[in-house]
Formats: sequence, structure tokens, C-alpha cells
Amino acid sequence: MPSIAVAIVGGDAPSPHKRRLRSNSALIDNPVINTPSKSCPPVKSKSARQRVNDSPSTNRANVETGVTKMNNNNNNNNLPVKKLLDGLLDKPIWNPTELGQISVVKEALHVSTAPSMAVCREDEQKRIVEFCRQSIVEEKAGSLYICGCPGTGKSLSVENVKGCLAVWAKETGSQLPDILTINCTSLSSTSEIFNKILEKSQPNKKVSGRSTPLKQLQQLYFQKQQSSDTKMMLVIADELDYLITKDRVVLHDLFMLTTLPFSKVILIGIANAIDLTDRFLPKLQSLNCKPTVVSFRSYSMDQIIMILKQRLMALPYAVFQPQALELCARKVAAASGDMRKALGICRGAIEMLETELREATCTSTLTSMVRVDHMAFALSRAYKSPIVDTIQSLPQHQQIVLCSVVKHFRKGKKDTTIGELNKFYIDVCKSTLIPPVGVMELSCMCRVLGDQGILKLGQSRDDKLRRVTLQIDEADIIFALQGIRFFRNCLQ
Amino acid sequence: MVERSVDEALLLLRKRLCDLHFIFSVFSDSPDSNYSKLKFIVSSSVTEACNNSLLLLGPRGCGKIAVLDLVLEDLLKEYPDMISVIKLNGLLHCDDNCALKEIARQLCIEHELMFSKVASYDDNSQFMIAMLRECGLAHKTVVFVLDEFDLFAQGKQRLLYSLLDAMQSVSSQAVVIGVSCRLDADQLLEKRVRSRFSHRKLLFLPPQKDDLQRLLKHILLLPTDSNLSRDYVTDFNSRISNIIADKRFIEITDKLTDSDCTVSNFMRFLFSAVSCIDSKSGYMTLENFKSALSTIQRQPKLDCLKDCSILELYIMVCMKRLEVKEQESYNFNSVMKEYKTIHDSFKTSDYYSHNVCLRAFEHLLDRQLVEFADRGHNQCIEYRSVKLLISHSELHQGLKSNRSCPVSYLKTCMI
Repeated sequence: MPSIAVAIVGGDAPSPHKRRLRSNSALIDNPVINTPSKSCPPVKSKSARQRVNDSPSTNRANVETGVTKMNNNNNNNNLPVKKLLDGLLDKPIWNPTELGQISVVKEALHVSTAPSMAVCREDEQKRIVEFCRQSIVEEKAGSLYICGCPGTGKSLSVENVKGCLAVWAKETGSQLPDILTINCTSLSSTSEIFNKILEKSQPNKKVSGRSTPLKQLQQLYFQKQQSSDTKMMLVIADELDYLITKDRVVLHDLFMLTTLPFSKVILIGIANAIDLTDRFLPKLQSLNCKPTVVSFRSYSMDQIIMILKQRLMALPYAVFQPQALELCARKVAAASGDMRKALGICRGAIEMLETELREATCTSTLTSMVRVDHMAFALSRAYKSPIVDTIQSLPQHQQIVLCSVVKHFRKGKKDTTIGELNKFYIDVCKSTLIPPVGVMELSCMCRVLGDQGILKLGQSRDDKLRRVTLQIDEADIIFALQGIRFFRNCLQ
Repeated sequence: MVERSVDEALLLLRKRLCDLHFIFSVFSDSPDSNYSKLKFIVSSSVTEACNNSLLLLGPRGCGKIAVLDLVLEDLLKEYPDMISVIKLNGLLHCDDNCALKEIARQLCIEHELMFSKVASYDDNSQFMIAMLRECGLAHKTVVFVLDEFDLFAQGKQRLLYSLLDAMQSVSSQAVVIGVSCRLDADQLLEKRVRSRFSHRKLLFLPPQKDDLQRLLKHILLLPTDSNLSRDYVTDFNSRISNIIADKRFIEITDKLTDSDCTVSNFMRFLFSAVSCIDSKSGYMTLENFKSALSTIQRQPKLDCLKDCSILELYIMVCMKRLEVKEQESYNFNSVMKEYKTIHDSFKTSDYYSHNVCLRAFEHLLDRQLVEFADRGHNQCIEYRSVKLLISHSELHQGLKSNRSCPVSYLKTCMI
């Protein structure tokens, strides 16, 4: 066992704000960021809002088209969004040249900063808490399955549920169950989960090697316990689909544990697939103990704006222009509804602003808020694929190879061999009087293109017989090469 | 005196060409080079103590690892004791167990702890999470460099998930940098791993023509303040500048970069050219570059054709004629028949006997210019079907370059 000697000497003393957040993770119940007040403080001076409306940035062409498009598109829907973004500009604008402010803002927008209240997930959290409370009060075992796309707040909500249960248990005096949180990716074998459950339920007893942990647990829950005050156990299994094996036995046994007559296990499983219980646990339905399903839908644009607003509320100054946040929320909601991506893009927009301020000579004329063009740039960087740029910077012969591949595949067949490709390549070269390279060099170039993921090469004994297929979209190649007249004519 | 200068100059040039840091430092000046962007991202993660992840993409030989090493070296000098670097390679650490063991081993070495070889996967992963927490408390950033990132994205991607999940907590302070030559490396990730991976990508593209010029001057011009004789240095540099401006040199470099424009290929070319410098004269000439190009762009089959005897060429021309006549399979006897018909119709002077031709044919088989088209070993050589291993255009070019080949062969080949 590697010994974890504390041989690390602490670095130079950080700012007190940072130290509080990092070293004392037990301070979760007294978070530094206070719960946001429902109403914003009254506006002292209207100059901030007026200043934003008159800023020179809104006169720039690209920003203007973006903003007017948004205004034209939903004249009717604008009102609720405007209401959402109302409180943002009531504060003084930040000063990004002060280093401390940038790091505080970035920290507020970081994925690892858990907000004290999970906004927009109140319903789901209420359902989960209700389910747990009911199971604890009635001392009945049960199972719950939480599903949703990545980045929709499942693990976050479950953490909050744990906190809520602790508070509730203290208030009503009921017994708080043992909580076991397992991330199934960290299990080296799928049946190890039963080991962990057994260890947690009987911490004093040594694990006997006579029967498997699963059998021991089944025996335990099949008979009435001697001591009547054994606690319930809340098992939270994150990334449940790692337990799916070919014969689906482990997952099935895990959920069956909750159906045993004297079981004390409340099971909450978290995964991405909506139909996991239907596909992998069909028998449970016949036994009438199918787990309750709570599905976390992807965030909509309004929800993303609300969450971002909540994170920025705690700051004493305004950082983003409301249109920028709206653009980000709209794009992310349309693409995946993944909150992590939205937070990442907002941080990227702040970095754009930082680089702009570093390069600009006179910073006084530009307002230092994060504008729509910063956000648009950050969005394009996030969603752009590097394929077009790479094709445009390929050496000439490799571009000719791609062009001949596209031209040949248009005729119908979608794959070819290197020998055949050589013929088409020589044809294209002849039409522009560029001397073609030899077939060995051609197969080298195909291999380089295959390495980059542009072509896909098959295996064969003979180099000339290897099959070649396109792995990227033909339209990307045509778009990338349209700047060169020769390729434009060739690919017409 | 001059001899020693020449030797020293050659040594300096060769050393420069093998030093990746020197080569890629020429691109690091401008603020939107990849070097400064990468440095900004990593240094801001270190100073602001937040987690970050990014991908470096680009074709092989464009300097991704070289620039990353440059950045890490500079940051280690700027913030000593605040960064520790863990390097993994997708080719070496192919599965999750192996990779996690390597992470634990490197962490142990960095922090001077004892590493146990028998630690299980579970132990190693708990150790890694505990170390990340400790480093986070001590405000030390751990930088994970994952080379050949696309190979880590095969299988269940457990290592990537556990690394990126550890970065979601406040207590750890880590930067994960993935390096890959596949452009779609982030599409290979599972959706929950991709959600945890930030979308930052830095694209490394091969240099454009004017950047190559700058690179050439940076490498080949000798420094004036070294201990080489001043006259030699100015002479050398002026000759180099003349060569670079010459149109023929531009043609040579165009020919090289038209098929492969990466920096590593260009460095190989320059190294070959520098090695061709005549130590008596001590200066670079255009001939050095020409011979370097021919060593890089070799055509081994054409070289082979240059040494063939006339009879062997004749046999290959006959085979080519048979192929053009769309005869699907032919053997040595049909080639001999064709040989006879050419001899009869064109009245060429030499007509060799069957055995001599058979010997020449066997030479061609040895040289791998022709080969048997079937797999059977039962029949004797004359009856097995054969095929040409070089294309018609290569044969044509070979005939032209062969010094002893008479003109009439070209005529017969021209069908």
C-alpha cells in the first residue's frame, strides 16, 4: 500500500477567501456564498443601465445584427426573458483589470463550485426527498432510478437530498439512515458492490469467505433481524450502467435486494439511459416492484439563464451583458442542454475579454462587460470542428488526394482501394499538369490522412489492396477547398 | 583555423536541428501563437487554482509535444514547487490498470513516497484521489499530459472518467492536457466523459510558406557573437541568404512541402542537407539541398530499374504489352511468344535463347519487379502465371532513366 505521508509542505499563504473554500469542505452547511435574496436591492442610480445602452459596442455591425435578430425573432417571447435578466444590471460594472475580481468570477462560474440551492430542480428533488422520507418512516425498502443526459444536475441534486434528509432527521428526531455513495466506475469488478454494501451494513463483523457477499446479504435480509433497531441503509449508485454485464445478473440482483421481505436497503440508481429499467430489469415488473423513475430533462433556455443568474447574483458587480447570457443559453439549450458546457462557454467568454483587454491600448473607451461578440466567439470555438482548418492547411498533394476521393465517391461506390485511388489521383494531376507522386508516396499520404481521422484505411497484406473510405463529411471537404479555383472546378 | 571553424559550425547546425526547443521557439513570439495561448491557459489555472482540461490536435510532426514541453519548462521556472507533471502515453499504458499504476508511480516519485508494485486498481485510484486532494490543499497543481489521447478513448474510458470526475470537486487542482493527431478525438469520448471535458481545443497546423522561410533563417544563419571567425560567419550567412532567395531553391522546397509540409519532415531535409556540406569548402551550396531532396523522396523501384540489364527490360516491356492487350493472366511462355513476335516485327538485333531469358526472368523475380500471381508451387516457373509489380508509367520513366537503353525500346513500349 503506498503510504500517504503528509510530506507536502503548504505553499505560500493564499488569500483568506480561497483558503476557506478549499481547506474546509465541511463548511458546506455554512457556505460562503449566501443564498440569494428573492428581490434585488433598489437601484440607486440609473446611470449603469443607461451607460450600457449607449456603449459603443452596440453600434458594431456584427453585434447589432445579433441583437436585432434576437429582438425581431421573439417580440412576444422577449418579455419573460427580459424579466429573467432584469436584475443583472442593477449593480455597478466590474473592473476586470483588478486580478482578484476575475478569479472570483471564474470561480463562481466553475463547475466544481456547487451552489447552495439547486435552482430549477426543486420538483425532482422534492420527489426524491419524499420517496426517501416515506421509506425511512415506514421502514420499508424501495428503489428509485434517476435518469437524464449528462450535465443535468443529477449528482448535484442527490447531494442536496442528502443534506435535506440530515436536516429533516434532526428536526423530526427520526433516525438518519446509513448513507453509502458508490461510483460504479471505481469498482474493479461488478460484484464488488455487494462487498461494499455488506461492509457498510455490518462494519464490526469480519467478512467471512464462506459464501459470496451477495448470498450473505440475501440471507441477512431474508430473516427478521435480531435487534429491531438496525438502521435503514441508503445506497446511492452513480453511473449505474457500468454494472451492466452480458447476463445482466449483477444489476438484477442489486435491485432484487430491495424486494426481499426484511430488506433495509433504499436504493437510488443514477444513469443516463431512460429505459434502463425496462431493458435490463424486466423481471421486476412481474414482481410488481419496478423502481420509480425520476427523469431529469435537459435544461431549457430559461432554466439555463436562471441558473447562471443565480451564480452571478452573489457577486457585488455586473459582469455579463444580458444579451450575451441569452445568446449562450439559447445556443446551449438548442445543442444539448448541458449545464457544464454553458458554464465552460461563459468562462471562455471572460477569457476572450481578458485577451482583448491585454492587447488593447486604451481600455477606457470599451466597456469592460462581457459582450455578445465575446460570447459568440467563445461559442464558435466550442462548437467548431477543426476539420475545415486542417484541410485548408494540408499540403497540396494530400488535398488532391481528398479531391479525387470525393470525385470518385460521387459516382456511387463509397469505398475503393489504394491502387484504384492512385489511378484517379493521376487523372486529377494530369488535368492540371502537376506531376503526380509515386504510388508508395501516395500510400504514405493516405496513411497520414488515416491517422488524422480523415480517411479510414483497412488492413490487407498488399499495400495496394487496402480499402479506403471517407470518415468525414464530403460537404466539409468541398467547403474547405472552395477557395482554390482548381478544386472548385474539379468538384463541380 | 578555418577547418576548426567549419567543424564547429557544422556541429552547431546539427545540434540546432536536433533540438526541438530551439526549432519551435521561433514561433512563440506572437501573442496568438499556440505557445502563448497554451501558456495562458495553464498559468491561469495555476494562479487561479481552478481545474481545466484541453486538447491539442494536429497532424504528426507539427510540434504539439514540443510546444507543450516548452510551456511546461517555462512554467516550472516561473512557479517552482507549484506544479507537478504526470505524463502518460496511450501506446504504452494501454489499459486502465496499467495507466493508473503509472500515475501512482509518478506521483510517488514526485513526492518522494514509496511505491508498492502490488497495489490493486482500487488502492491506486484511492491513492490518486487522496493525492489530488492533498495537492489541492497545498495549492499545488497537478498537470496530466495524455499523449495519444485517442487510444485512451477506447474501451470503457474508465481512466478518463475518473480523472475528469476528480476534477469536478472543489478539493482538487488539476489540468488535463490531451494530445492527439485525430481531429475527431473529442467525438470518440462517451457523452458523460465529453460533458466533463471542457471544449477547449488548440489546433496545431503545419507552417505556411513565410513561416518556413523564417524558420530556415533562424536555423541556418550562424550567430555572429559565437567564437567562430567573424569572416567565415558573414561569408556563410551571405551565401545562405543568396541561396534562400534563389528561385531554384524555392522550387526544391515547394517540391518537398507539396507532399509533406510538417516541421519534422523539413528538419529531416535540412539535416540531410547540412550533412552533405563539403568540409573542405565549408559553405552550403544549392547542390547540398538537391541531394538532400533526392534522399528524402526516393523511388526505390525506379532505382532498381536503372540497374536492370537490357534483356530484363525487354522482358518487362513484353509483359506490359500483354497487359495492355488485356490478357488477364500470362506466364513465362506467353511472354516468350510476345518476345518472338516483337523480334520478328521490329527486326531487333539480339535474340537470346530460352535459358538466358529464363535466367533474366529469375533475376526479375528476385528483385521483386515481377511476381507470381498464384500461390501454387507445383508447376515449374514457366507455366505459373505472373504479373508486373510496377505500373506502366513507372516502367516508362525507368526506361528513360536507364543509361544503356536504346531508343527503339521506347518505341515498342509506346503502344
